[in-house]
Amino acid sequence: MGTLDYILMGIQAVFQGPELFSFLGLSISVTLVMILAGFLTGIAVGATPGLAGPVAMAIALPILISIFGYTPDALLPVMGFLIGIMKGATIGGAVPAILFNTPGTPDAFMTTLDGYPMTQRGKAKKALRVAHFASASGDTFSDIVLIICAPFLALLVEAYLDLPEKTALLILSLSFIAAVIGGSAAKGLISTGLGLLAAYIGTGEDFYPRLTMGQPGLSQGFPIATAVLGVLIIGAILKELEDLWRRRRDSGILLEHRDQGDQRLHRADIRRLLPYIGRSAVIGTAIGALPGIGSTLAATLGYTVGKARYARKKRPDAPEFGKGAAEGIAATEAANSSVSGANLIPVLSLGIPGNAAAVFLILAAESIGGFNPGPSVFRFTSDSVNPELVVAFGLFTAMMIANLLNWTIGGLFMRSMGVMIRIPKQMLLPGVLLLTLTAIYAQETRMEAIWFTMGFGVLGYLMRAVEISPLPFVIAFILGGKLEESARQAFAATGGDPWFLFTNPIAALFMAMALGVILWTARKKKGVT
Amino acid sequence: MGLLTLAFAAVALFAWIPLDTQTGIIEKVRRQVAIGDALAPSVAAGFLILGGGLLVPVERNAEHQPRVSLRGLGFTAGLLAIICISFVAMRYSGPLVIWIVNSAQGGDLEYRLLRDTAPWKYIGFFIGGTLLISCAISLVEGQVSRKALFFSVLAVAAMIIIYDVPFDDLLLPPNGDV
Repeated sequence: MGTLDYILMGIQAVFQGPELFSFLGLSISVTLVMILAGFLTGIAVGATPGLAGPVAMAIALPILISIFGYTPDALLPVMGFLIGIMKGATIGGAVPAILFNTPGTPDAFMTTLDGYPMTQRGKAKKALRVAHFASASGDTFSDIVLIICAPFLALLVEAYLDLPEKTALLILSLSFIAAVIGGSAAKGLISTGLGLLAAYIGTGEDFYPRLTMGQPGLSQGFPIATAVLGVLIIGAILKELEDLWRRRRDSGILLEHRDQGDQRLHRADIRRLLPYIGRSAVIGTAIGALPGIGSTLAATLGYTVGKARYARKKRPDAPEFGKGAAEGIAATEAANSSVSGANLIPVLSLGIPGNAAAVFLILAAESIGGFNPGPSVFRFTSDSVNPELVVAFGLFTAMMIANLLNWTIGGLFMRSMGVMIRIPKQMLLPGVLLLTLTAIYAQETRMEAIWFTMGFGVLGYLMRAVEISPLPFVIAFILGGKLEESARQAFAATGGDPWFLFTNPIAALFMAMALGVILWTARKKKGVT
Repeated sequence: MGLLTLAFAAVALFAWIPLDTQTGIIEKVRRQVAIGDALAPSVAAGFLILGGGLLVPVERNAEHQPRVSLRGLGFTAGLLAIICISFVAMRYSGPLVIWIVNSAQGGDLEYRLLRDTAPWKYIGFFIGGTLLISCAISLVEGQVSRKALFFSVLAVAAMIIIYDVPFDDLLLPPNGDV
């Protein structure tokens, strides 16, 4: 089995998987339909303020698992749907930002700065076309980088990192995520510590389930979905409802802006926008490849770099940056969209999720089984077929198909989604809350799971109230078991050496970097205050 | 917050972890040294100590401090109470309706045997779900409205259609517990 054979098998797994129907004698596989369905759902969800890709993923996962079951055949349709949502939500978030000055997703905030002024000038459709073109370009670029880099990174890890180094790498990743997410190293560490502690309740190797305080309900530990959905989704809904109550803001009377003049995106426009898109795509991809740094930072950096270039190149009659310049939309959307593909580099090559969407992909893989994201996925075995590698190339194929959909029908569908803003948040959010809890119950089939989820939801709410990012908690919860297992194996392999993290040069370097990134971020924070 | 975190970490490290794990940080099994169950939680507590320890000297004097509103917390407590009451209603309304039907008609129906049969299986989810959504909307809006009730009935019906009608193997709450 060569590399090309694996690539072909991955493509075949998508196109020649279980057939859903045939069209003009052509077999249409269920995976293709699921990618399309996920993509369209993602655009609708992204265009709805108050919802985001992870919410749709959380709700969809138990339904998808119920439809496709726990067999290896389920992996590509389920993960294809989730990838579709991830990509659709990225472009969908720009719709309310441009049309109504309300970002559909947090990373679309910068899009409002130039998008809404363009709508006010009667150029809404053109602004949407710019956003779509930039978003699709950034996303495609990022996916190409992912496809090239992830296997090489995984091979490097497998070739050079042994158990102590892998343990140190996990500690470095957790420290990095703690330090950079939310802008406070101290709060990130607290979030990480709580996530690890929650992960260790009811687990362990001894017969006695640790840290359960004698409660039989805790003896199996917390189901991963209750922690992830509770902290990420329920916590966000509780906080959002409180904010809504505080503002008691309704959706109000929406001002109507009529489109005027030419709305098309011409070649000259594209030539003008490409340098902004190119720079932002590189920035977004580089940021996305580092676990934990979100698309909001990428959008801000892309926008700032674009603004500096615009100041040098601006025509005298063109609008200022931030006051309706198409270049501003292009710079922002290319940057935040190029994060999504690159974010899967640490997921697929190291098994470390970098953002909420990646968390749900790992959750899907763990729920279904047969695919464990990490360096072992990219073992190019020649004597037998590595099914995980076929799935990995199947996922790459699914991403490219989603990109193709984005380039062809994405723009049209995106422009028709302006209507989603009219759903009032105060009605939508309680519905999403019940839907999420129902999704948990459908998966776990016991009331205990609902109470666990609500407990984690309250924790997520409190964390948001004191401005602690919940993402390090979730990532630590997912990686906690892996960290302990890796440390146990490394300890045993080194003959019980308690200093195994410091005697090996690469592991010691990772540990020094872990400490360095915490101290550096903390010092920076002190400098700001 | 830093001091609270440090206090919690200290309780975890010196009371919870030692008292609630059977093996220590390192244990000896058949003359081989292995990592015990207490190590990983101790590392987690270490993260908390580091975070709390950094929070006290570094961020204590930061200009921007999160402000927790007591009224906001009160609102969320009310919302949580609504959620709890709704799920209790969801849990017991199905058996209650069966009891009322049995009392009125003198039958001997059992909810447990009907939990996978329409329309009985929808009673709890419908009543509890409608209560949850309509009360939460009313709490946020500060008024009870027919619109909220209509929307909640519609939303719960849609959820039944999404989660239950097409699937034989999915159970709506609370039917897995009764």
